Amino acid sequence: MESLLNGFEAFQRYYLNWEIIQETFPLLLQTLPLVLELLVLSMVFSFVLGLILSLMRLSRFRPLRWFAGAYVDFFRGLPLLLNLVFVYSGLAIVGAGSGLRFLILPPITAAVVSLSTTYAAYSAEVFRAGIESIHRGQMEAARSLGMTYAQSMRYVVLPQAIKVVIPPLTNEFIALIKDTSLASVISLQELLFTAKEKMGVVANPTPLAVAAVVYVIFTIPLIRLASRLEKKRDRGSKGTKPTDGSVDKPSALVSADIATQLPKGGGVR
Amino acid sequence: MSDPTTMIELQDVHKSYGHLEVLRGIDLLITKSEVVVVIGPSGSGKSTMLRCINALEPIQRGHILIEGIDITDSKTNVNKVRQKIGMVFQSFNLFPHKTALENVMLAPLKVQKKSHSEAERIARDLLVTVGLSEKADSHPDQLSGGQQQRVAIARALAMQPDMMLFDEVTSALDPELVAEVLNVMKDLALAGMTMVVVTHEMGFAREVGTRMIFMDEGVIVEESHPREMIANPREERTKKFLGMVL
Repeated sequence: MESLLNGFEAFQRYYLNWEIIQETFPLLLQTLPLVLELLVLSMVFSFVLGLILSLMRLSRFRPLRWFAGAYVDFFRGLPLLLNLVFVYSGLAIVGAGSGLRFLILPPITAAVVSLSTTYAAYSAEVFRAGIESIHRGQMEAARSLGMTYAQSMRYVVLPQAIKVVIPPLTNEFIALIKDTSLASVISLQELLFTAKEKMGVVANPTPLAVAAVVYVIFTIPLIRLASRLEKKRDRGSKGTKPTDGSVDKPSALVSADIATQLPKGGGVR
Repeated sequence: MSDPTTMIELQDVHKSYGHLEVLRGIDLLITKSEVVVVIGPSGSGKSTMLRCINALEPIQRGHILIEGIDITDSKTNVNKVRQKIGMVFQSFNLFPHKTALENVMLAPLKVQKKSHSEAERIARDLLVTVGLSEKADSHPDQLSGGQQQRVAIARALAMQPDMMLFDEVTSALDPELVAEVLNVMKDLALAGMTMVVVTHEMGFAREVGTRMIFMDEGVIVEESHPREMIANPREERTKKFLGMVL
């Protein structure tokens, strides 16, 4: 019984030390503008770049498809941490050695570049899946009205695809929030970096616990939101199917099977 | 150039998916105001032929001319040619994120660059024509299949096409909803629209068709007037097929 009490006391002293909590909390709050800047910039860049990559991947021009495919494969396979260290420390060494000073990036820029490049690859996959989930009859109907490929994408396919991808993109965003903590290794003074520093000063891990709570407070509402959006989308998705009868007549099935054999980006000129 | 009343001309059209040959040499000439009914068993290539006419599918050999313009020529702007051709699909393919009115307005707005008020006037008139003026603000998922298909017809007509292609447009409909769609098509035919109709609706074919084509295994087996073909099919395959659908 006594050892249990000792254990509890130790836990409280090292992880929930009230004095240290009071000291740490304002410190961490001060880092939030920086974290938000990193988050918003990385999100915007990665979504825009991801959308462009997904359109390239679905293009009928082989070099574009090849480039986008290679990009996505490379950055999905590359550890984000390595990306960060390379963009920050790696480029800085090159910049210092060769005199190309612009390669020496401040930590915030390096973090935005590596988070954006890596998350663009993830977002590209999400966008691609979203676009591919829109029945190809939509594209055909738009093209048959004389719209160009770009017009059909913009006015018909993408507005529908965006609705489909919002829940998975929210999940990407949650992961991005957590991955901003990796920027602590390139000495960006964000949440984790500041908490670790404080931990060293007070020789007590309570600041880490405070940082953990801040991350969780940020992410839990988004996790809830994502699952709500997912449920809402799945309820509303009957809209694209005809309300009566079935189109899965034999002939429709045959042409659907054939469609899967077509090369990517082929078909409608 | 060719006869100005020639709307659609297919010359030795061959189409295959990989090793599967779907069209094996189709020759066809369709003139203004004809209503050509295409029949044939599943997989005979009739839908594929329609899709090739609208350049939704590339062909491997032969030529397809729309009002004298060769759409198989890579220099042809197919987007321009498609504006002359309206197409209606088996699965409607209405845009689910837009209302009935917006579905009809989209192409006049974006392709013909008409003003919003002009596009809306055209769209409302067409929704009256297909009997759906009171559904203008409904989304597709609030409409029955028959209503959706009538909106799809209005949408195709909004581009003021010279010809219309109908790809089994009543096949996905409940039986009681077929007539409302066929009636709209009949009115169109009577107004002189050039039409190519892939269908199993023999009543429609008999009533408004000016020519009937029977396809099987990627070729045109027989063609004549619908009443003639339905009453006296010449080919054995035609007889067998008509025996099954009549």
